[in-house]
Amino acid sequence: MTAPAADSPVLLRAEDVRVVYRRAGRRTEAVKGVTFDLREGRCLGIVGESGSGKSSLARALLGLEPDAATGRVLFRGRDVLTMDRDARAAFRREAQMVFQDPLGSLNPRMRAGDALAEVLLVHGRARTRREAAEQASEWLSVVGLDADYAPRYPHELSGGQRQRVNLARSLCTGATFLIADEPVSALDVSVQARILNLMKDLQRTRGITWILIGHDLAVMRAMADDLLVMQSGGCVESGPASAVLFAPRHPYTRTLLSSVPDVPSSLSRRFAT
Amino acid sequence: MTAPAPVLSARDLRIVYRAPGAAAPVPVVEDVSFDLHPGRMLALVGESGCGKSVTAAALGGLLPRGMELASGRIDAAPGVLRAGRGLAYVFQDPGECLDPVFRVGRQIVEAMPPADRRHSADRLRALLVQVGFHDPDRVARSYPHQLSGGMQQRAMLAMALAGRPRILVADEPTTALDVTVQARLLRLLADLQRSGNLAVLLITHNLGVVAEVADDLLVMYAGRAVESGPVSLLSSPRHPYVEGLLRALPRLAPDAPPLEGIPGQVPALGRRPAGCPFHPRCPLARPGCATAVPHPTRGPAGHTVACHVRAFPSPSESTP
Ligand SMILES: Nc1ncnc2c1ncn2[C@@H]1O[C@H](COP(=O)(O)OP(=O)(O)OP(=O)(O)O)[C@@H](O)[C@H]1O
Ligand SMILES: Nc1ncnc2c1ncn2[C@@H]1O[C@H](COP(=O)(O)OP(=O)(O)OP(=O)(O)O)[C@@H](O)[C@H]1O
Ligand SMILES: [Mg+2]
Ligand SMILES: [Mg+2]
Repeated sequence: MTAPAADSPVLLRAEDVRVVYRRAGRRTEAVKGVTFDLREGRCLGIVGESGSGKSSLARALLGLEPDAATGRVLFRGRDVLTMDRDARAAFRREAQMVFQDPLGSLNPRMRAGDALAEVLLVHGRARTRREAAEQASEWLSVVGLDADYAPRYPHELSGGQRQRVNLARSLCTGATFLIADEPVSALDVSVQARILNLMKDLQRTRGITWILIGHDLAVMRAMADDLLVMQSGGCVESGPASAVLFAPRHPYTRTLLSSVPDVPSSLSRRFAT
Repeated sequence: MTAPAPVLSARDLRIVYRAPGAAAPVPVVEDVSFDLHPGRMLALVGESGCGKSVTAAALGGLLPRGMELASGRIDAAPGVLRAGRGLAYVFQDPGECLDPVFRVGRQIVEAMPPADRRHSADRLRALLVQVGFHDPDRVARSYPHQLSGGMQQRAMLAMALAGRPRILVADEPTTALDVTVQARLLRLLADLQRSGNLAVLLITHNLGVVAEVADDLLVMYAGRAVESGPVSLLSSPRHPYVEGLLRALPRLAPDAPPLEGIPGQVPALGRRPAGCPFHPRCPLARPGCATAVPHPTRGPAGHTVACHVRAFPSPSESTP
């Protein structure tokens, strides 16, 4: 696999990023000092334990945890955590997050088509309502949903359909940097392949830089150029994806790799004759 | 193997949806039948939007607005469906299970039967530890938004188990979990099945998980059952859709081929083709596939397939 330019400029540099939630005198240290560089046009995969701080880190990187995050997050050299209003507005146009919970991040009162159309207008991708509606149905078909789904409210969609609307909503902004938190977790392997290939195409053709959070290591093999493994708030291993997956050093990474369920080996173990 | 009586049996379910203002209802699920047995796990698999969650909702009478069970029967052992506690759900979206304004611990305690509430603190802690939490007290005190996605999933499972159900319907319960926690939960379910005679309906797109823990398998496509039987059928599937799913599995090997889905996509509701629902995407399709709906044909050991091309020979010619 040819990784996109391993020497392209650094788009995002995270320096000792920490996230600490405080409430009623209690502290939860969700991210305990994570440092990495992400180069333009590459896909960084983040895997790790449930509750290890992946989503918290993602929100911190996009400046969405103003009260809890510390450290430095340099996007094209400017610190996201201390940006002024104008710089932040510009950053928000370039950087998008696909949240883990689609039902929680889609407006329950907005039809799928309208949700996309609104984003297209806000981000200046479409000038008129009509243009926005047309582009919205194109985006729906890009993620494998035909025009029939445009008038549906989120609760009228299946889990995987909602997840795809949620992803389309971030993609259609024209963002060049996307953090996708478990964007295909609700999809069967066939639709999943289609969506992942779409993401990969966007990476190649539009130079989009991705952070992909997930727990499917086979998906990471196909998608990630670099991989970062988290456990209880810290990064335990990182590097080129092939090195992390095929020559893991940390015991936790090895445990992860040895726990991947596999159809042929499970079947032959259980039903060997 | 002589199967004990099922705790729930669904026959020829036909579920239709009438959109607001629409003249005619459109079918969502057609001719789906299955049994849930104590101590066994049935995995329900199929492409996004094919009707898995709707089928599961029908069991508990939880169909969304506009949908109804047009025909078919759902029979259950006495008390299972009525009591509410006999049948527990882990829904696909945490938002449908967990109430954002109450602490997680309180919600789990409320799901306990009266006998367990007398020592609810101990039972609560035990449940949270069972689903893999190292810090049960913090989790119990937390509001749902203070938990990670995978922690919410585990909290939902704890809540479902709190009611000591006889049937657990778990809709994609491990999607947000890393493989080690996932393995732990699957072992837990397997234990509960064996020791507590729990019947499990597991909806998942993870065929690795299916092969690891399920006993039986039902594959749906566009609202219909296309192949079913003991899970070992995955080593020799007959339906081209199931073959396609297995080929599309992403693999971890260094030399794994690029990801490739099944060409085409699942038809939207109301646009399902005549004949076999899979024929427009099927590499084996013949002219007849576009006209007649294939009926399930039976093979050995309860293996059933609905496909004109790969049908089992009729009983008179079978038994090789
Ligand atoms: N708003 C919040 N307030 C308090 N604690 C929080 C909050 N959000 C997350 N946490 C805690 O921070 C820790 C890390 O959570 P995070 O959501 O970042 O994990 P994650 O790696 O994304 O896990 P998963 O894979 O399960 O989604 C968890 O212990 C969680 O309970
Ligand atoms: N409340 C609703 N109103 C209208 N249509 C609905 C509703 N809920 C689901 N549907 C539609 O019914 C069909 C079956 O949905 P279902 O949720 O059962 O799919 P699923 O197999 O669970 O898919 P996924 O794997 O994506 O969760 C889909 O086409 C979906 O759009
Ligand atoms: Mg998360
Ligand atoms: Mg579903």
